Amino acid sequence: MRVRISLRAKLALVSLVLLALPLAGALYVNEMERFLLEGEERALLATARAVATALHDRPQLLAAAPRRDDDALRREAEQELRRLAQSEGQPVAQPPSVALAREAAVDTGPAQQEIAAILRGVERSSSRIWVVNRRYQVLALAGSLRQPAPREAGGPLQQAWRHAIGWLIQRPTEDFAEALPDDVLATGRDITAALQGTPGTRMRRTPDARAVVLSAAYPIWNGDEVAGAVVVEETTNPIVSLRSAALERLLLLTLAAFAGAGAILIAYATRLSQRIRRLRDEAESAIDARGRIARLAAGSAAGDEIGDLSRSFSAMLARLAQHHAYLESMADRLSHELRTPIAVVRSSLENLELAPLPQEAQLYIARAEEGLGRLNTILQRMSEASRLEQGLRTAERERYDLVPVVRGCVEGYRLAYPNVRIALTLPERRVEVEGSPDLAAQLLDKLVENAVDFCRAGEPVRVILEEQGGAAALGVENKGPLLPADMEGRLFESMVSIRGERRPGAPHLGLGLYVARLIVEFHGGSIAAANLPTADGVAVRARFPVAWR
Amino acid sequence: MSRRIAIVEDDPAIRANYADALRKHGFEIAAYGSRPEALAAMKGRLPDLAIIDIGLGADVDGGFELCRELRALSAALPIIFLTARDSDFDVVSGLRLGADDYLTKDISLPHLVARIAALFRRAELVREPQASEETLERGPLMLDLKRFSVSWNGEPVPLTLTEFWMVHALAKFPGHVKNREQLMREAQLVVDDSTVTSHIKRIRRKFLAADPAFDQIDTAYGMGYRWKA
Repeated sequence: MRVRISLRAKLALVSLVLLALPLAGALYVNEMERFLLEGEERALLATARAVATALHDRPQLLAAAPRRDDDALRREAEQELRRLAQSEGQPVAQPPSVALAREAAVDTGPAQQEIAAILRGVERSSSRIWVVNRRYQVLALAGSLRQPAPREAGGPLQQAWRHAIGWLIQRPTEDFAEALPDDVLATGRDITAALQGTPGTRMRRTPDARAVVLSAAYPIWNGDEVAGAVVVEETTNPIVSLRSAALERLLLLTLAAFAGAGAILIAYATRLSQRIRRLRDEAESAIDARGRIARLAAGSAAGDEIGDLSRSFSAMLARLAQHHAYLESMADRLSHELRTPIAVVRSSLENLELAPLPQEAQLYIARAEEGLGRLNTILQRMSEASRLEQGLRTAERERYDLVPVVRGCVEGYRLAYPNVRIALTLPERRVEVEGSPDLAAQLLDKLVENAVDFCRAGEPVRVILEEQGGAAALGVENKGPLLPADMEGRLFESMVSIRGERRPGAPHLGLGLYVARLIVEFHGGSIAAANLPTADGVAVRARFPVAWR
Repeated sequence: MSRRIAIVEDDPAIRANYADALRKHGFEIAAYGSRPEALAAMKGRLPDLAIIDIGLGADVDGGFELCRELRALSAALPIIFLTARDSDFDVVSGLRLGADDYLTKDISLPHLVARIAALFRRAELVREPQASEETLERGPLMLDLKRFSVSWNGEPVPLTLTEFWMVHALAKFPGHVKNREQLMREAQLVVDDSTVTSHIKRIRRKFLAADPAFDQIDTAYGMGYRWKA
C-alpha cells in the first residue's frame, strides 16, 4: 500500500526549511563571539603592554628574587592534599585560594611592593595581572579571575526557562578553579614567547574545565634584554554570557517565529486541503446514481488554481452533460425524424399493391414490407425510453402489492416463452410498494426478456421476489455468459449493450435496461447487475423501498 | 356523390401517396400543403372529413391550430390527426381539441381506410338518428356498433374510435384476458405496448368521469386486460 501523506503533513515538512534561519543565527552569534574574543585579547595585550611600559628599564625592581619560604610551601601542599581528600564525592566547596596562599608565601620585599603598587593602578575587577622575572618567578600579582557572581535576573518563569534550556545553551559559571601561576608558568607559551621578546597571547581552560581563560604576556625590557614579563589574564565569561544571552534570545525568537509560521502554514494547508477535498467530493458525486451530471460549486468563484480547476471540471462536466443529453435524446429524435420517410415508403408500397402487378413484383413488395416492419420495431424501441421518461413525469403513484403483479407477469411469460422454464419464488406476505403496477410489469418484462435471451438452453430463468429489511428485492437470474468486467456499472445507461452476437429480426439498442432503471428510480429504488456467486450466470436485482405502513 | 376528404400534410410524397390511395378507394381528395391554404379552401367548401398532420413545415403546431379552426367552422366534421408525433402529450392535446381520432404514420393504408369508413358511418348515423339494432349490452355498458357510441348507465361516454374498438374487444367476451397485441389488432392500431397502456388509462378515466365507481377494466399483469364479468 502506498503511504498517503496529506498536504498538511507535506507543508509541515517543507516548513522545516525554516530551521535554516536559527542555524544562520547561531553561526552569526559564534562569529560575533570570535570578534569579541579577539577584541578582548587585544585589550589584554594593551593592558600588558601598558604595565610592561611602566616597568621598562627598571632592573632593580626585577632583579630582586623573592625568597622562598619552604615551610609555607609544605603547608600549602598539605592543605592541597586535605582539600582533595575532602572534595571527593562532595560538591566542590570553594577551595581556599591557593594562589592567595602562595601570594602569602612570597616574602614581599620593597621591590615587590613597588611592582604591586604599579599593578594595583591598572587592576581591573575581572582580570589578574602578574609579573614574572626571567626565572619564571612571580614577582607580583594583583586581581582575581573570579568576579562577583551576578545576581540571577528575572522572575521564576525566566529562571525556569533558563533551567530548561540549560542543556542547550551553557551559561558561564564563576565557580571554577583559578589556576596556579606556577602551572601556568610551566606550560604557558605566551609567557615563554614574552620572555624571548615577543608579546604572546593564549587561551586555556581552567584545570577543572569550567571556564576559559584568555591571557596575554608582554616582555619587560631592560635595555636590549628581556628582564621579565607582564601577564594579564581574564576569563571569557563576560563574552560567553553575552553569547548565551544572544543565543537564548535567538532560540526564543525562533520558537516564536516557528510557532507563528507553523500555525499560519497549517491553517493555510488546512484551508487548501479542505477546498481540494470538497472539490474531490463534488467531482466524485458530480455524476449521480441516475447518471445525471451536476455542475460543481466548490471554489468556482475563487481566482486561484483550485478555482480554475473546479471551473475546468465544471466546463468538462457541462460538455459531458451535453453529450449525454444528446445521446439520450438522439434515439427519440432519430425515431421521430425517420417516421416521415418511412411513411413515404410504406404508403408508396401500399399504393403499388393496389395496382395490378406481376407475380415477381409482389414478392419484392412483400420483402420490402417485411424490412419496413423491422424498421418500425427499431423505431418503437428507440422512442420507448424517452416516451417512458415523458410518461414518468405525469405518471401517478399508487400503493400496490407487488406479489400479484409478479405472479401475473410470470404466468404471462410462461405462455410467451414456452421453451424456457421460469421458476418463481414469492413471499408469503404482501409486499406493498409505491409506484405504478403497469410500470413494474414493464420492468419485469425487460428483465425477463433479457434473461431469456442470455439463458443457456435447458436452464431455468429464476424470478425471485423477497422482502429484505424494508426493501422489496426483485431478482431475475439466469445461467449463461457472465458480464464483462468493465460493463457492470454501465449496463443501465442509455444505449449500452453487451450483446455480442446479433439475432436477426430482434433489434437491440441497449435501451431495455435503461428503461428498467428509469422504472426502478420512479419507485425510489435501485437496480444492479452482478454475476452469480457460482460464476455461471448473471443476476439482476431491483430493490424498491417498501411502502410506509 | 363521392365523399370529399381534405388532406393537410406538408410532405408532398406522403400527401400524394395518401391522396392516390384514397382516390383508388373512391374518395374525392383535396390535398393542401399548409395551414392558410387549407383553411382558405375549406372555408369555401367544407370537406366531409379532414386528415391533418400536426407539424406543417415551419408551423410546428399548425395542425392543432387548424383543428381548432375547423371545429369552429363545423362541430360535426370528422377530423383525424395523422402524424409522426406519438407522445402522450400530443395525443391528449389533439383529442382535447376535438379530433375524432389520432393516428400515427405507422398506420397502414387499409387500416386508415377502415377508420375513415367508420367515421363516415358514425357521422351519417348521427345525422339521421334512428333506433339502432346492432348493440352490445354488458350490464350498464351499452355499445352501439353502428354509431360507434358508448353509454354507461345511459350516460354517453365520449370515446374515440380507437378507444371504442378497444372497449368493444374487451366487453365482447367478459372475463377473457385480451393481451395488448389482440387489442391493437382490434383497434387497428400499430403502436407499441405502452401506447395501449395509455389508451386503457384514458378509457378508464373517461368512464370514471361518467361514474366515479367504475372498476370494470381489470389489469392482468403481464398478460393484458379484461372486462370484469
